[in-house]
Amino acid sequence: MIGPMMDAWYPVALESRLGTNGRSTRLMDTPLHVARLNGGAIEIRTEDGRALPVRLRYGHVWTSLGAPTTDLFDIPEADQPGRRLVEVGVVRVRCSPLRAVENFLDIAHFPFVHTDILGAEPHTEVEKYEVEIREKEDEVWATQVKFYQPQAAKSASTGITTDYMYRVPAPTCSVLYKTCPARPGEWDVITLFVQPLAEDLCDVWPWMALFDDESPMTDLIHFQQMIFLQDRSILENQIPRLLPLDPGMEIPTRADLTSVAYRRWLKRHNYTYGAQLVAQ
Amino acid sequence: MLSADLPPMTVVPALMPQGPFALWRSESGILSLQADRCPHRGMRLSHGFVRGEALSCIYHGWRYAQNGRCLKIPAHPRLEPPEAIRVETYAVTESGGLIWGCLETPAGAPPNFDGFAPLRMMSVKVSPQMIATSDEVDRRADGALAIELAGQHCLFLARAQPDGSTLLFCLIEEAAAPEARIAVSRALELFRCRLEADDLQKEAL
Repeated sequence: MIGPMMDAWYPVALESRLGTNGRSTRLMDTPLHVARLNGGAIEIRTEDGRALPVRLRYGHVWTSLGAPTTDLFDIPEADQPGRRLVEVGVVRVRCSPLRAVENFLDIAHFPFVHTDILGAEPHTEVEKYEVEIREKEDEVWATQVKFYQPQAAKSASTGITTDYMYRVPAPTCSVLYKTCPARPGEWDVITLFVQPLAEDLCDVWPWMALFDDESPMTDLIHFQQMIFLQDRSILENQIPRLLPLDPGMEIPTRADLTSVAYRRWLKRHNYTYGAQLVAQ
Repeated sequence: MLSADLPPMTVVPALMPQGPFALWRSESGILSLQADRCPHRGMRLSHGFVRGEALSCIYHGWRYAQNGRCLKIPAHPRLEPPEAIRVETYAVTESGGLIWGCLETPAGAPPNFDGFAPLRMMSVKVSPQMIATSDEVDRRADGALAIELAGQHCLFLARAQPDGSTLLFCLIEEAAAPEARIAVSRALELFRCRLEADDLQKEAL
């Protein structure tokens, strides 16, 4: 049952990497082909020939299986002059697309999963932060998130307390804003765009819009790939693979308020593709 | 699991017939057998780490005691974790160089194999029945499986896995010299190859 997630937007390719052979892929169990036509236009069709809507934004090709009621969410910072736009590529993960997003919203794992990079013992405490579901935008937001990081970004050389904001504008997409070491006062933008292949399998496309004129592009890509591969070692070993939406199966604490709000928002909208509803 | 394969301060997934469980040995040498799932976010505890007398989850560092109780949640260092946060804990003991777990109340002590010591544990992609009924294996009066490998008397313990395969333990006479142990280990690998090849052949027919 795909349900209302049918009408959401999903990434299905990197625009810059889409050659004339196109890309055959899947979206929520539906096989589809992303084609680069003569002349450069991009067309997406399901196996039975149905044409799907196409959007080109944030380096990626986006589509929807249904009839989206809103256009693709806006990331205003993407158009801000001076930012490096980093296409990190794709990582396939054997987990629910919703688990991939939830992990992205979590900071308490930094000292244990991204040891000595995004966190380090004994700096494990998660201080109180603010979480809300913004009704007008219909997005989950977490603000005033702070965490001590030994090396917050490629451009950081010493430990700092980093400020974060998290945003969930679509069921399988999240945008993170974090302190920018190179330009105080601005936020670096790091996103996780998740393409659900099946309820327990996804292609993850991280993408970034950073202020960093120093680091070679390869280093920026490698840094983010390293971080996400560390996350993958967690995501492929959580039981169950689907995200449990009913209470009782897992135990959240105050540090998990973003995850709690995300699960509540998913449930409210019946965004349950990749979710487990009844404890088994 | 062989005792020798689990040094202090390590955790492994113990492959029980019911699935994997987290088996760990504390710094002081005490064994624990627990559910392989952290109740916080479902992460496998067998991927975690042992410090002192506690097991920590690799995801968020939640720390569990030998009795299963959660001792610490690092995201909230000053919080005393509620008593209700715990992982299921099962009986585990060591005897004759082997680690024995039991998911129910144990009916008695684990069996004894006098004069034998464990040599190796290995996975075999055939059922325990197929091993027990192999022409090379004799069932002893006490139920143990006897086999002659590289001219040495050996015993097998075969435990079923959830996928129908077998976790096989090979025991060798305590007095066997190192060269004999190496020879048996190699012969054991060949035995496994023969069984798995026979099984494939049967499937093909």
